[in-house]
Amino acid sequence: MNEMDSIFELPDDLLATLIESFPCRDAQIRALATLLYPRAAPCRNLIIHGTEATGKTAITTGLLEALQSATDDGPPLKYAIVKSAECVTARHLFERTVGSVVDALEWEGTASVGRCETLAALTVELTRMLKENVEQEQENNSRRFVLVFDGIDRQREAPPTLLPALARLSEIIPNLTTVFILTTPTPSLLRVSSTPQLYFPPYTKTDFIAILSRPPYAPPPLPNTTPQETVDLWTRYAAAVHDALAKPASRSLPGLSRACAALWPRFTAPVAAGTHRAREFSKLLVAARAYFQDEGVLEPGIVLSGHSRDANTNGSVFAAASTTNGSNGHAPAKKGREETKATKDLATLLPPTARLLLVAAYLASHNAPRHDQTLFSTWHTGRRRRGGGGGGATGAIRASKRTKHRKIARKLLGPSAFVLERMVAIYAATRREWDSDGGEEGVVGVGVDGDVGMAISTLASLRLLVRVGGTGGGDTMDRGGKWRVGVGWEVIRGVGRSMGVEVEEWLIE
Amino acid sequence: MAVDEVLGDSFEEKQHQAAYVFDPLDEADGANRPAKRRKVSKAPNQQGAEEPDSWLTFQPLFGGSENEQCVRLRQQLFEKSWSQIDKRIQHILRKANESTLGDVASFLQATPDRASTDKIPSAFIITGPNLASQDLLFEQFSETLQIQVDAKVVRLRSGDASNLKAALKKIIHDVTARETDDENDQELAMGKDGRKYLNYDLEALYAHFKTKPRSHIIIAFQDSEAFESGLLSDLISLFSSWLNRIPFALLFGVATSVELFQARLLKSTCQCLYGDQFDVEQSSSIIEKIFKAAIAFSDAPLRLGSSLVNSLLERQRDQVSSIPVFVSSLKYAYMCHFYANPLTVFLSDDKKDDILQEEHFEAIRCLPSFRRYVETAIEKGEIEQARSLLDDNSQLREFLHDGIEGSRRWSLDILRKLKVLTVGGVLSTDFSEIYLDAISRGIDTDRIAEFTDSVKRLQPTDLTVFLNQVLDNLDNGDPSLGLDSWANENKDSHAFFTKALSTTKALQADAETKGNSLRSKYNGQTKVLRTTVIAQKVQLSHDTATLTREDSLYTELIDDLVRHLKETLHCDSAKDLCMNEIWLFDSKAPYKDVFIPRPRGVVERALSRPHDYLNCSCCETKGDQIVPGLPPVAILYQLYLETGSLINVADLWSAYYAIVGEENEEALEEQAALVLFYRGLAEMRAMGFVKQSRKKADHVAKLAWKGL
Ligand SMILES: Nc1ncnc2c1ncn2[C@@H]1O[C@H](COP(=O)(O)OP(=O)(O)OP(=O)(O)O)[C@@H](O)[C@H]1O
Ligand SMILES: [Mg+2]
Repeated sequence: MNEMDSIFELPDDLLATLIESFPCRDAQIRALATLLYPRAAPCRNLIIHGTEATGKTAITTGLLEALQSATDDGPPLKYAIVKSAECVTARHLFERTVGSVVDALEWEGTASVGRCETLAALTVELTRMLKENVEQEQENNSRRFVLVFDGIDRQREAPPTLLPALARLSEIIPNLTTVFILTTPTPSLLRVSSTPQLYFPPYTKTDFIAILSRPPYAPPPLPNTTPQETVDLWTRYAAAVHDALAKPASRSLPGLSRACAALWPRFTAPVAAGTHRAREFSKLLVAARAYFQDEGVLEPGIVLSGHSRDANTNGSVFAAASTTNGSNGHAPAKKGREETKATKDLATLLPPTARLLLVAAYLASHNAPRHDQTLFSTWHTGRRRRGGGGGGATGAIRASKRTKHRKIARKLLGPSAFVLERMVAIYAATRREWDSDGGEEGVVGVGVDGDVGMAISTLASLRLLVRVGGTGGGDTMDRGGKWRVGVGWEVIRGVGRSMGVEVEEWLIE
Repeated sequence: MAVDEVLGDSFEEKQHQAAYVFDPLDEADGANRPAKRRKVSKAPNQQGAEEPDSWLTFQPLFGGSENEQCVRLRQQLFEKSWSQIDKRIQHILRKANESTLGDVASFLQATPDRASTDKIPSAFIITGPNLASQDLLFEQFSETLQIQVDAKVVRLRSGDASNLKAALKKIIHDVTARETDDENDQELAMGKDGRKYLNYDLEALYAHFKTKPRSHIIIAFQDSEAFESGLLSDLISLFSSWLNRIPFALLFGVATSVELFQARLLKSTCQCLYGDQFDVEQSSSIIEKIFKAAIAFSDAPLRLGSSLVNSLLERQRDQVSSIPVFVSSLKYAYMCHFYANPLTVFLSDDKKDDILQEEHFEAIRCLPSFRRYVETAIEKGEIEQARSLLDDNSQLREFLHDGIEGSRRWSLDILRKLKVLTVGGVLSTDFSEIYLDAISRGIDTDRIAEFTDSVKRLQPTDLTVFLNQVLDNLDNGDPSLGLDSWANENKDSHAFFTKALSTTKALQADAETKGNSLRSKYNGQTKVLRTTVIAQKVQLSHDTATLTREDSLYTELIDDLVRHLKETLHCDSAKDLCMNEIWLFDSKAPYKDVFIPRPRGVVERALSRPHDYLNCSCCETKGDQIVPGLPPVAILYQLYLETGSLINVADLWSAYYAIVGEENEEALEEQAALVLFYRGLAEMRAMGFVKQSRKKADHVAKLAWKGL
């Protein structure tokens, strides 16, 4: 108990457990404790900042909880955490703040807690509650309240005065500490230097490995292997995964732990099967090389059970997610995957009219309107001249452009907007040409009827055709509206080929 | 009542006022209004109960002289017959989704504790682009999952959720299912301590959830592609933030593919999800089932003809592939038939001769098929019969009755024959095609020959399978077509097939004991022809020479079978039957007009040839000639067609005035012409043909080209 002697009475035993469960953060934990603990050097406002997943939330929460339950003679502090991520509007934030303060204080006068629409109302409400709280327990003067705004820089619909106003709360209310957790502190915040700031730097490779070697991340021992061997293998393996992750952006703690967990069963499959020993790290690495280069494995998007490619090797599993994924039936999962391939291309999915319209939209987006005449008109030649074959003139233009061009191919550029009427005109023109079974009767019958309108709105609802500008209610009856195609060249080429059309021939660069 | 009237009057009055004058003294009156309104809106219902006429929507035919009982009967017939069909269709649709429902339910049951994985379980349901049919699917989801996995399902459509707040509001409202009367109220009172929450605060949902826990709160995004991706990302990250308190699960209706869908979301959002994808039954196979249950079904009161149904099926393939549209097209066809054909009263089962009118009999005598029948009767010399049909109504009634009976027998007959014809996939086309062909052409000798040719070539083992299936059909019928067993009615056929089956088996066994494999001469030939071409002749004779006794018996059996099939399978086409007009509907026009409207085409026609619609002498034109008598907007439209994409209004005016102005006999004054011109131009603008151009002053932009 000789810490009592020092000016800063930090509860070291509490901190010890926290430091142990959050490796590589002891400096931050100590600093935070000093700035929050009533008997140390509590401050009024505090900014905690650092990039994603650097432990800001976890450590702040952990520390406050520990401090609250610390002392026997009643808690030295109470706290409330408001997550901006869960607040949809500023008003929502205010009401949540009041609500959580009420909860933290176990405030009785809840009936009076009602609307809190503005910053001013929030200030009044908080002042009322917290001041009273202090008065009630005057004898214990060291009592503090810590109010944490987590991720306040990402608050939706935040008024510009939000941060300054919240920062003033602690000036008005005694014994209040306001903590702001930010991911990217704005320059203006940094200019005000009076507020203490605590920086959570991103982890280095050694940090990552240290963290990953601890319980929530480290795997259970492998079969045919001692625990120590497993730990050694895991450590080297984690380092290898860290290096394999191409983008530094995905080298965050969750990304890394996800990749490690996803790959581990496959990586250790030879060990489980008995073909390799756990000590033969480089052999294992060579065996699993393909996986290390596969982004799909390292950075899975939505985990589909069907996509855990060899679900059968998932036998030795420690991650709950992959266990259950593997277990909910292989048969449907497999079937699902095969189907995916089939449904992947839109060509099989969309009805013919919609396909024609989609290609027309692509052409309208990628050809300049001044070329339409040449491309689609039968006025002079009786035969359409297309970009590729046939028409000598355009062919020559293209060729000459080819030789000297250093321009980017038009199809690689983003789509430009077009007027809907133009797309429909292209549709009508191309349909006559492309619709194989339309025949002569088709020439007369090409009309733009309700079904075409329906196909357009289907495409719009699938966001394959996107309305630009204007209001959100993209009415397909309004032919004056501006639209843009929503899919890229690869898809369109497939759709075109499904109708026997080389879309390339209809593009003029 | 008197008060109501007064109120109504004052209301009327106000409607025509140029401005609404707010009079606070009027308030008592105003406060009363909603209550009164409600009263008024109730009134028609009560009336409806007293006066069944509001139900009667069909119109009297025969130029209005059809009596009311007949009109009523037709409508009843329509409603009854369609409701039966609809019941079958609904059953099929519900059945079709069942396996998907089961899969999703077991997926959700198998979800691990959410806290441990940090991910929201999500089911991706690959529905294909028929957005309209997803409603039923998701309705079933919310029913089934509620029971099977103790879940509360909230269905969201992109239309419901234009922004985050609206989406949350709907979710919270639907979960808590508390009807708050005034929508404007921002607060929701919730929780036991009476704390109030904003109506988009998930805390409210949490508070409700604590009092009524469930294993899952499922949010279903019906048309997930139509949601703005930012909104989806926001919602998903919110849910995942609450996941440690509320057990969310998600359903996504995906029209394209999970990959395309995923590409639209933020990567960090994707990492909050894990799940599986589920397929629904292909719409083409559902259509085939509906086809059987609605169109081909044995006691369908109305036969839909092949040209109509083919155009429906084709549209289904080419355009929309949406099942509800298909179903309502069928319903519309039924409605059209009963609505417009006075003779449909004869389809009623109970003979209500007393309501028949002279017109009915006249109409029958005018039917083309009836005339054809009478003419052939006269040709055959049955003058007496023909005369009595033409003169005697009661004779005609009898004849009619038999005709309807005959048509029912024919329907049954053709289905039974088709069941044989489609056995074992001998003819490779699908049922709907064969059926429609049979309806329009009958089962003619060509079809039968095509069929028997392939039967001939069957190997003995295949033949036993074939015969077994035929017998199975005879014995059990086909419930999907509403066919009962017809073995008893066709004893001969049944006996024949049974015998053929046993003989084949016996011959096969005999041949086997002798170490030969049984074949007919039809099998042999094809084989030889295929193997050696040069030695064809030698091989052929060699082949027939080696036909064993069993082989030739088998060949005989095949010959018998083919003969039997040829004798029994023939069937007339629907159009050959007398008075088929009563129970056969095959016209495409009304359906096309209603289901595939051509608004642009109609407007263009009205503008370029107003006479088609107005039918007045002043607008009669030859070709595209412009005459001053046309409505101004029509004249403007003609001029408009000749312009480029930017139109100088002054030029347009002078061109217009040149037509309607001085040089004509009925010349307009300039002022009057100008007024008409402006009105016409305003109409053009209202119809979306022109808009103000920003490029040049005094110009308007041309927006619409003809023929699109
Ligand atoms: N040093 C560490 N040791 C162990 N686990 C850690 C450490 N740092 C972070 N984590 C874990 O990483 C995860 C993400 O941490 P946390 O949510 O605190 O990050 P954050 O900095 O608040 O991120 P964001 O800016 O996105 O809010 C948590 O599960 C946390 O437990
Ligand atoms: Mg955080």
